[in-house]
Amino acid sequence: MAAPVIEFQDFSFRYKSQNEDTLKHINLVINKGEKVLILGPSGSGKSTLANCINGLIPFSYPGEITGSCKVAGIETQEANLFTLSNHVGTVQQDSDAQFIGLSVGEDIAFSLENDCVPRSEMLGKVEEAAHTVDMDGFLEELPYDLSGGQKQKVALGGVLHNDVEILLFDEPLAALDPAMGMTAVDLIDRIYREKNKTVLIIEHRLEDVLYRHVDRIILINDGQIALDTNPDDLLRSNVLKDMGIREPLYISALKNAGCVFGPEYRLADLDEPDISLYRENLVRHFEEQKPSLKNEVPSGEELLNVDHVTFSYGDFTALKNISFRVKKGERISVIGKNGAGKSTMAKLLCGIIRPDEGTVTFRGVNCVQYSIRELGQKIGYVMQNPNQMLVKDMIRDEIQLAMKLNKFPEETIEKNAEEVLKMTDLYPMRNWPISVLSYGQRKRVTIASILSLRPEIVIVDEPTAGQDYKHYTEIMNFLEKLNREYGITILFITHDMHLAIEYTDRSIVFSDGELLADDYVFRVLSDKKVIEKANLKNTSLVLLAEKAGIDPELFIHAFIDEERRNRAHG
Amino acid sequence: MDKRLFINTKPGNTFLDKLTGKTKVRTFLILIFLLIATWDFRLILPLFFLGLFALLSLHPDPKKMWGVTIFIILMNLFNLLLLWLVSPDYGRNLCGESTVLFRLSEFYIVTAETLWYFLVRFTKFVATFLISMTFIQSITPSEMSAGLHSIKIPYKICTIVSIAFRYIPDITRDFNNIKISMQARGMELDPKKTKLGERLKQNVLILAPLVITSFDRVGNISNAMDLRGFGKKKDRTYYSEHEDTKGDKIMLPVYLAFLALFLVIVFMNIFHPSAYEVWCPWIG
Repeated sequence: MAAPVIEFQDFSFRYKSQNEDTLKHINLVINKGEKVLILGPSGSGKSTLANCINGLIPFSYPGEITGSCKVAGIETQEANLFTLSNHVGTVQQDSDAQFIGLSVGEDIAFSLENDCVPRSEMLGKVEEAAHTVDMDGFLEELPYDLSGGQKQKVALGGVLHNDVEILLFDEPLAALDPAMGMTAVDLIDRIYREKNKTVLIIEHRLEDVLYRHVDRIILINDGQIALDTNPDDLLRSNVLKDMGIREPLYISALKNAGCVFGPEYRLADLDEPDISLYRENLVRHFEEQKPSLKNEVPSGEELLNVDHVTFSYGDFTALKNISFRVKKGERISVIGKNGAGKSTMAKLLCGIIRPDEGTVTFRGVNCVQYSIRELGQKIGYVMQNPNQMLVKDMIRDEIQLAMKLNKFPEETIEKNAEEVLKMTDLYPMRNWPISVLSYGQRKRVTIASILSLRPEIVIVDEPTAGQDYKHYTEIMNFLEKLNREYGITILFITHDMHLAIEYTDRSIVFSDGELLADDYVFRVLSDKKVIEKANLKNTSLVLLAEKAGIDPELFIHAFIDEERRNRAHG
Repeated sequence: MDKRLFINTKPGNTFLDKLTGKTKVRTFLILIFLLIATWDFRLILPLFFLGLFALLSLHPDPKKMWGVTIFIILMNLFNLLLLWLVSPDYGRNLCGESTVLFRLSEFYIVTAETLWYFLVRFTKFVATFLISMTFIQSITPSEMSAGLHSIKIPYKICTIVSIAFRYIPDITRDFNNIKISMQARGMELDPKKTKLGERLKQNVLILAPLVITSFDRVGNISNAMDLRGFGKKKDRTYYSEHEDTKGDKIMLPVYLAFLALFLVIVFMNIFHPSAYEVWCPWIG
């Protein structure tokens, strides 16, 4: 009855430029109509596996294949990319680069155009696909006016033609803010149900994918299948943390409370499980941990005072009457959906743009007096994509560059560079070329190059975008260390709620150019109105607390405290 | 914030806007070839008015137009001035006679033929400019690519055109981001504070990360195209290329007539060349 659509038999693959197999002896059968999550840390081979299914391997990425991989009964090595694309529709990670058309309609039509479908037939099909992905009415829109989530919908619409049997999503959530991510997971689920497709999702954001039911989870590690099981069993086990994948927060909270999960527990779906099984544990644990409700104002001298600032791009008001203060040594998360004003705020603090109304003062001095360059020595800005920042070949040169541009004296340059290299644990690598570094290491180099100017505040834009939990933890622990040991004030621009919970004390929330909230993280994240308005997502902790009858704010607070204690000890 | 280029991405509502890419590209190319082939004012003048009328029919934004128009006119006048300075009796070679109107010196004379030639040349260049502007203002990159394909240019080349327009704004955005981060690190790009040489050197520094990020993008784009079957068949259809409208049916005989005229002119130039290149009313 179950008909296999994807069959790997003792399949190994090695990229042409590499010495070692990236996939090792994979045996895997996926049946028609299954919804499967392929989970694994970066570099585990999960994207390689996806590319073997859609045919990019071996047609675009040559290499050596042993064993067999059959997709819809076709041996991929003997077919070609185009035959496979009739069976497999792929939605890639980079929603911007895969938008090829100059309008939504054109992009959805792209594969039809290549198939020589006459235009009269095309129109109907494009409309139908647009309707399926909720993009009707947008056919004339340009890519530049769409959000990441909308572009992804279009990408999905573009591969729905020809009745492809398999839909393959390669890290679909990577570029989306929490609410968009939820919509995407929802949409994938709806299409899965309505169209009877086989769906494969490659992701490392487990909790977000589990927002909707999946049948099976395949855990890939080091090129091999580490686990092939159902979501409940996976969550029950303790393998996730070892593999560098983040456990859903509510599972961590339950485990912290000492809950032992028997086979009757349905863990994957938070809406469903019978909370009575662990309410007792949770409440008892919470009473033990119960935090005293903090209300003290952080001490420390005031560094930054943003006072009634308004800024517009032409007719568009990007920031409306914003006021907040930053004190030395604080860790603040600046959150809000894309386009809410976070990046504009960062540019304003760096002096790249200047307020139309209101003032920004640094240590009591109005920043208007400083040039961008002078401000750069007080407030550093680390961009999201390190590749957009690195200009030199060698790590040491990169770190010295900013100081040279600022015409520091030679001996200061040497001294600062050495210190920064040691602070950032890059000292042993100081003479390495940048080209051999991993993404995470590059990120560290960019942070180091900013630190070399000795700023008191560092603004880090999406420090963890596109990285798995292991690398994420590495970078965040590193930033935490900078904050703790060197007293550097850090502002994180992010839409990752986990980051805000785990690594910051205070949250500033933007929505449509307005400051929506400025308070302790646990208070902001348990405030439903704020969450909804800012296009954020309720954390599962809130749901769990509500079900157990505990005050969400205090519950999150206790959870944060406990996790931080655990991290400090372990 | 500067997302739009000089070109259009959505077709407008005028007669010319509504034509198919096929008609737009064909008409444009034929008119341009015709203008290149002829020095006959009797043909150039009507083409000049045709171009002017066509451009105005698009109701272009005058603010966008003025800068380019003035630039083109000044460049042409400057060009003519230089020509006159180098050889004041230029008209003799082209028209066959030389009627001196007045003399500034032994060498610098003003002749009727040279002035006539300059008038023809100026009108010809401005007409070319008007027709090109009309073309650029009325076509979208997708229609251009469809139109080029309709004259049997391989679609892979046509697609490069539309892809380039698609990603130029993205690359501009990347460039601006990189520039901002470099400025915050202390790069001084203010023209008042930095010398030109230094500024050029610093802009080169910005290019390195730009090239690397663009390469990443190219890889992703080409995968996305492959996965949706680009290059699968020998031919391709176009979503943006709508069915022929009434306008296209009117334009078909028009551009065919121009094509015939072009062929006649080429034929005449080759087999019955007139003694002098430029037709002059008083010489005949």
